[in-house]
Amino acid sequence: MFEFTPAELAAIALSIRVASVATLASLPFGIAMGWLLARARFPGKSLLDALVHLPLVLPPVVVGYALLVAFGSQGVVGRALAPLGIEFAFRWTGAALASAIMGFPLMVRAIRSAIEATDRRLEQAAATLGATPWRVFTSVTLPLAWPGIVAGAVLAFAKALGEFGATITFVSNIPGETQTLSSAIYGLLQVPDGEAGIWRLAAVAVAISLLALLLSEWLVRRQRGDEVT
Amino acid sequence: MITAGTAQGHSKRGRDRAFPRRLFARAWALLAGAVLLCSSVSGFAAPPTGRGAPLTVFAAASLKEALDEASAAYTAANGQAVRVSYAASSVLARQIQQGAPADVYLSADRDWMDVLQQDGLLDDGTRRDLLGNRLVLVAPRASGAAAIQLRPGVDLLPRLGGNGRLALAMTASVPAGRYAREAFTALGVWDALQPRVAETDNVRAALMLVARGEAPLGVVYATDARAEPRVYVVATFAPGLHAPIVYPVARVKASRHPAAGAFVTWLATPAAAAIFHRRGFRVP
Repeated sequence: MFEFTPAELAAIALSIRVASVATLASLPFGIAMGWLLARARFPGKSLLDALVHLPLVLPPVVVGYALLVAFGSQGVVGRALAPLGIEFAFRWTGAALASAIMGFPLMVRAIRSAIEATDRRLEQAAATLGATPWRVFTSVTLPLAWPGIVAGAVLAFAKALGEFGATITFVSNIPGETQTLSSAIYGLLQVPDGEAGIWRLAAVAVAISLLALLLSEWLVRRQRGDEVT
Repeated sequence: MITAGTAQGHSKRGRDRAFPRRLFARAWALLAGAVLLCSSVSGFAAPPTGRGAPLTVFAAASLKEALDEASAAYTAANGQAVRVSYAASSVLARQIQQGAPADVYLSADRDWMDVLQQDGLLDDGTRRDLLGNRLVLVAPRASGAAAIQLRPGVDLLPRLGGNGRLALAMTASVPAGRYAREAFTALGVWDALQPRVAETDNVRAALMLVARGEAPLGVVYATDARAEPRVYVVATFAPGLHAPIVYPVARVKASRHPAAGAFVTWLATPAAAAIFHRRGFRVP
């Protein structure tokens, strides 16, 4: 029952890789966007907020098709990046891009809430003590918002792990390259005796998600522990 | 003074400690109202059956334009509305196995029809082979690729370039993908090609990838190539390389729709056959 086929193992490894890269690569952008929406005031802020939330409300297949049009080998961005050696079409990097974009709104929401909840007076106090805005951000805002940032990262990771519609539309289903857990399960659904494989992969998906949640709990607790001492 | 302080303390403590009962009650009332409203909307009621109701047909993705035209003709002639759900035959078969409310099933290969027949889900008496098709290799129109002879051992890798991929439907389950894999295996080139393929959800998704120029080559049905002006045929697979491409049709046993059998019969009439033939399908 628990013997994994090479294709299934490849799908598991690829999913972990894609989800990790998607989360870590989008984290700086998520923090920046979260801070921007929480603290800054500028014309068009509502529009930016709406744009950030677009992948959350659009059908995933639409997002995948938009990515294909923009980042595919014939797309505007795809053609510009090709000479630099950055390719997304039919590669795991494309799967990571799709997952990152689908998870971005969730990450930004969590981080924005966390930053909004931090006490601005603490930031102002640090400024009056002579800290530069960057120092204020790294030594006051970030540590205070840390639990929210971790929560945002976990949400993005979970979304990336479960991403299907955008991925299969953008980079299709290539075993070893773009066949994530979700795509593998989808393929097995259509094979008459694929049930055993589906349960195996589903169990692995649950295990990975639990591990991610436990890791996030530890990250938050560890930081709180530092503050107390 | 003391009284005022105590009173203030009481109410403050009371506010802090009390469960936000009014807010909670309001939220529940709102939720209950929403649920009642939704259930009263007829959309959630079970779909009506009977002659007035639309006929639900599950059909292979490659039948899209042809069956749309055919079912429109049927509606015009008989006043019976038809709605078709197009997807990979494998996906549709699995849905019917799980109890999806299809009245008629039109598959792109015999295997998936056999699966449902073995499960006892079909009205066996209504099953018939309806259409045929050919498998072709297509390229984007803008690529100007030359025609290819599909002989045993043919090398397609140079045609794919450095990192191009051959687009086709999922080879383990979707009929178009299975025919393609069978043909390439018969030609002795599948092992070389397999690392260079991009498998899609259904044959029309593979067609889209070639049409957009994302894939330099793709394997689709001849009828798909006809329907898409942005691709053209560079090679046709000899029929002997794969199992005969046959589209069987049957009425789903669980269907209660009185017009289901009539529709299946109508699909085999010359009027329907003419429509399919015009689109490039082979009709017996």
